[in-house]
Amino acid sequence: MDVFAFFQWLDTSWLASISKAYGGVFAVVQIFHLLAMLMLGGMVLAGDLRLLGVLLKDVPSEVVIENTQKWFNVALVVLLLSGIFMSSAVAIKLYYNSFFWAKMASLAFGIFFVYTIRRPLLRYDHSTINPWTLRLIAVASMTTWFVVAASGRWIGFS
Amino acid sequence: MLNELLLRFAEWMDTHAWSTALHESYYMYSWVESTHVLTLALFFGMLVVIDLRMLGWAFTSVPASTISRRLETPMMIGFAIMVVSGLMLVYAVPVRTINSIWFRMKMVLFVAAGINALLFRNKMKAAVDSWDNDPIPPKRMRTGAGASLALWSCVVASGRLMAYDWYDCHQNMSYLMYWVAGCVHEMAEFE
Repeated sequence: MDVFAFFQWLDTSWLASISKAYGGVFAVVQIFHLLAMLMLGGMVLAGDLRLLGVLLKDVPSEVVIENTQKWFNVALVVLLLSGIFMSSAVAIKLYYNSFFWAKMASLAFGIFFVYTIRRPLLRYDHSTINPWTLRLIAVASMTTWFVVAASGRWIGFS
Repeated sequence: MLNELLLRFAEWMDTHAWSTALHESYYMYSWVESTHVLTLALFFGMLVVIDLRMLGWAFTSVPASTISRRLETPMMIGFAIMVVSGLMLVYAVPVRTINSIWFRMKMVLFVAAGINALLFRNKMKAAVDSWDNDPIPPKRMRTGAGASLALWSCVVASGRLMAYDWYDCHQNMSYLMYWVAGCVHEMAEFE
């Protein structure tokens, strides 16, 4: 698959014609992208710090995970939709940006990790799971989403 | 008068070698800004969890006071780092920041969000026993939580908009806009 062709297509798509022509629209979408990132970060931190036994120790971890996962899903959808729109404005520039690819790789891993490992595993009674497995999942999750956010921020500096 | 004082203060900060060094340091400035944004996730993220509980949209089986009490400390840690890194960012680019409409809006919203947080907290402490276990808190609490989310979201939004130069002093604007942005030199040209 020719990845560059996709970026060329995105650069000339109707989405790009909006994102490039209307700075105000781009800025508003960027705000939603940031707010969704903050919400996603909050849900990840609340859930993972509970798994590590740092936060909300008197609330069952199953309850914390169930509640944070719902809002994590909402934040992720907003993040992806706003991210695609924002990418269309500078598609070719992003193709040559190594931090963009670091973000995409960590994002892909993060999504894979959440929906194929973390979520299915944490559906079980947490008392039946090895505590070190829970801790490992929490640390891996926080590290992954930290890399996604940090590399995303660094796109703007590079 | 206030605009002149603020500008003089910003210009005084701008003469500091440390301000220039921080601004011109590629890695240091970027790290401070990244820290500001990432600790915002800790502060705003915890705030969202508390406010969603107060709105009756999440953690409805958990007492509201438990969520609020347990998340207050990490939220305040995030807040403290965010304020320190924010002050460093102002110090690095003082004149443009002080003359930014978005920064001024951010500060006004910041104060409003702070007042709302204090009122909200007091209201919650005064009456929490009567509705602590209710899945959906009383209307006055939901209103406070909604206002909290809206105000802090606007603080974040105005902070993000500071990157744009649409209303910077070098732009051609009306006298009122120059006054709001504190563009003292540009205002003088009108007189």
